[in-house]
Amino acid sequence: MDKMQRERMRVHDLFARFNSIRTAILIPFSILILCAITIMVFVSLTYTKEAVYENAVNYTGRLLSQLNADIDSYIDYMDNISYMIRSSEDVQDWLFADAEEAREHAQKGIAAQIDTILQSRTDIYNIGIIRADGKALINGSTDMLNENIDVTDAQWYREAMNHPYSFYISSSHVQNVVKDCYKWVVTLSTVVKNRHNAQEQAVVFIDLNYSSISKLCENNRMESQGYVYILDSNRRIVYHPRQQLLYGGLRTEHTDDVLLNGQEYEIVEENGVSRLYISRASEKTGWLIIGVADTGELLRKSDQAQLMYLIVAVLLLIVAVIVSGIIANQITRPVQALRRSMEQVQEGHLEAHRVEVEGNHEIASLAHSFNLMSERIDALVKQNQMEQEDKRRMELRALQSQINPHFLYNTLDSIIWMAEGKKNEEVVVMTAALARLLRQNISNEDEKVSIEREILAAESYLTIQKMRYKDKLEYEINIASDIKHEMILKMVLQPLIENAIYHGLKYKESRGILKITGYRVADDVIIEIRDDGIGMDEETLAHIFEEHKVNYHSNGVGVYNVQKRLQLSYGAGYGLTYESHVGTGTCVTVRIPVIRYGVETSGREGTVF
Amino acid sequence: MWQSLWTKRRITFICIVLFLVFGLVYAVLFYQAPGKQYRMIYIPKIADEANDFWTSLIQGAQMAAEDYGVKLELYAPDSETNYEMQNEYLMEAIKKHPDAILISPSNYTGNNTFLEKVKEEGIHLVFIDSEVSEEIQELTVATDNVDMGRQLGEFACSFLKEDSQIVMVGHVQNSSTAIEREKGIRKGLGAFEENVLETVFCGSKFSVAYEQTCELLKKYPELTMVIGMNEYSAVGAARAVRDMKRGNQVVVLGIDSSLEMIELMEAGIFRGVVIQKPFNMGYLGVEETVKLLEGKRKSGTYINSGTKLITINDIYTEENQKLLFPFVGNQQ
Repeated sequence: MDKMQRERMRVHDLFARFNSIRTAILIPFSILILCAITIMVFVSLTYTKEAVYENAVNYTGRLLSQLNADIDSYIDYMDNISYMIRSSEDVQDWLFADAEEAREHAQKGIAAQIDTILQSRTDIYNIGIIRADGKALINGSTDMLNENIDVTDAQWYREAMNHPYSFYISSSHVQNVVKDCYKWVVTLSTVVKNRHNAQEQAVVFIDLNYSSISKLCENNRMESQGYVYILDSNRRIVYHPRQQLLYGGLRTEHTDDVLLNGQEYEIVEENGVSRLYISRASEKTGWLIIGVADTGELLRKSDQAQLMYLIVAVLLLIVAVIVSGIIANQITRPVQALRRSMEQVQEGHLEAHRVEVEGNHEIASLAHSFNLMSERIDALVKQNQMEQEDKRRMELRALQSQINPHFLYNTLDSIIWMAEGKKNEEVVVMTAALARLLRQNISNEDEKVSIEREILAAESYLTIQKMRYKDKLEYEINIASDIKHEMILKMVLQPLIENAIYHGLKYKESRGILKITGYRVADDVIIEIRDDGIGMDEETLAHIFEEHKVNYHSNGVGVYNVQKRLQLSYGAGYGLTYESHVGTGTCVTVRIPVIRYGVETSGREGTVF
Repeated sequence: MWQSLWTKRRITFICIVLFLVFGLVYAVLFYQAPGKQYRMIYIPKIADEANDFWTSLIQGAQMAAEDYGVKLELYAPDSETNYEMQNEYLMEAIKKHPDAILISPSNYTGNNTFLEKVKEEGIHLVFIDSEVSEEIQELTVATDNVDMGRQLGEFACSFLKEDSQIVMVGHVQNSSTAIEREKGIRKGLGAFEENVLETVFCGSKFSVAYEQTCELLKKYPELTMVIGMNEYSAVGAARAVRDMKRGNQVVVLGIDSSLEMIELMEAGIFRGVVIQKPFNMGYLGVEETVKLLEGKRKSGTYINSGTKLITINDIYTEENQKLLFPFVGNQQ
């Protein structure tokens, strides 16, 4: 066997394993669907985690950008206020004018201006102008410097002085420069230059209420236990929702190791919790705004999504298998119905096995054709049966109309002998009997005759035989009067009597008696023909109904033909039964049904063909 | 064939299956193991916006409650000495049967019978800031006063010479905090303990402390150091030193803080103060109670919420600002 053949065999085996069309549809369908769903789930599972991170990064990024823009525009606004003060003539005058009068006048103007600003902006705590000589104008003139603190030591003052071309934004701190203030602020400080003499400088500062910044951050709450914090350019914390915990040493936060490498986001794991850090740098303030999300929380969501995918996949699979099962059933059900029906037909049950298949698809038309075919076969079989039966009937009719020529010859010979002996009376009796017998045989129109007529024929025959065998044969006929008008097949009794005489009584030494008894048992008619001849042994009895036992001395009809005719006419339950013992005689019983209303029953019980 | 595929019964069956499975999906997705939410009731000595210590402590407790998902209820008396009201609140709290009752007992003995009842009810009992005469609590979160005193005493040594003269102004004689703090200070002073001339008690009144310090300053013209043992005694003493113009010779040290103390420190009267960490105390109080309930803390644990020495040079460091000025930033 070469390789290809083996391969072909293997494939054949594989498909042979699907021992029904249903399996052949169901299994490949299911495998196909399973593969498709598995691939889908695999793709979505790998995609989900990334998507979750990406979403978190995008969302947080947008949030941070928004917050950044808010803070920048806020600081911008403050810078505008600062610019307004810086560029005011009054401030220039107060700072750099030589005349004391001008200064005092300017101070009033500044006080009014600052007062207006403070009235309209509750988020500004202090607006101050600090001259190089240490004199200060704070909130107009209502507040004073804290005399215990050197203002030139304050970081925001020094930084402003060091960077005279831009503003400086401090981190959040307690403003201690203003007497009795001690408020948490973010300070914006800018240098003011003398327009006429750039050497002389002063500092304008604006203290913003720290909570205005913290509120901006708190309003932007992150999802999934996230938070936002802000570092200034020196990586000191400007805002953190858990600032007190950080300073109290109960918690730490990443301030300089995170997000300084320019990555879009970073995942930091500590104490078994991994967090996603995303940062945005603010150009205006130099601050770093950092959003933190708990990746555990994020992943829990992605886990949920993944679980959902899995469950949906399993669900789809179940539904797909169920549906393909249903489809397979729908396809194979008519095929199976057709198969069962074919099995029935195979066993010969041709009628009453129509296949009912709805619709007009291939299987339905196949079933339709099958139905037509089996109907046609059924019709043909029935026709054939009828033809066969007719043929047999014709044959039997031909047979039963014949009179044994030996018998006729012997009878005529006996008549001649009697005539020669001048036994006129006996000649008359025998000839009359022969005439009756012949008439019975000739009257061929009816297949059946009344029992009375059949007995009459038998008696005629017996009369002839008795005269021929003289003292050797005696007979008795005893027929119940209520069966005399029942019908029986013609030429049933005569062959049996003939048999009894030729095979039983003839060989008996002494006189033999033949008794014919007829009576009714329930719906049946029983006619017994009993002789006391030599009888039969069991072997002869066992083969009595076989065809080859035809006795050529008799009329050729024989027991076989009588039995056949009876059973053809009346059914298997009827016909002849023999009972015989060697030396004591034989009894043959004819059993036929009572035929009412003169209707011939078909009576066939088994199937014969 | 297809008509028979979608019979009414089959469609109903499929619908039911789909419904059940989707129900299951949602159940799985939105079922969260009912993470035990602990219920706690905290009875502070007082809730007063003007009192930084208690406001800070309560804020700490609330933040921890938020962080740990604890349902925290507050029953606060109107006065720091009203222990009868605390007892009433204890009865109310017992009725609600929370997982734990946290209390800062106002009285050393007056709460005992009611605290016993809490124990009898099987409710966990946690002390914050103060203790009572009997040890019936399972957990204490408080400032270690001995350690606090020791810290101040050790700092004091840097100003002392052999012939230095020291007086101490205490708050309430025989109160546990006064005893412990004095003990700590003496421990911290080490060899200089000999230099303590006198200890007086002002009964937590500015005016008494002021008077007493004035007396002492007159009594000891060579005095080099005054140590105040709480806000009242320290501020009273500092005011006296400032008003008697003895700030150049006398070093004033104190415990606790207030805006006035900071001003006095900026003015050079106070050279150093040791402050408590009330926010930490409140936070740890709830956090440690959660650990106790989870079985991660043994009964009888004592947690020190910590202290911090502040000197003129580090008032405005990032860390100290928040301790010294916990709330001013949130004021409008």
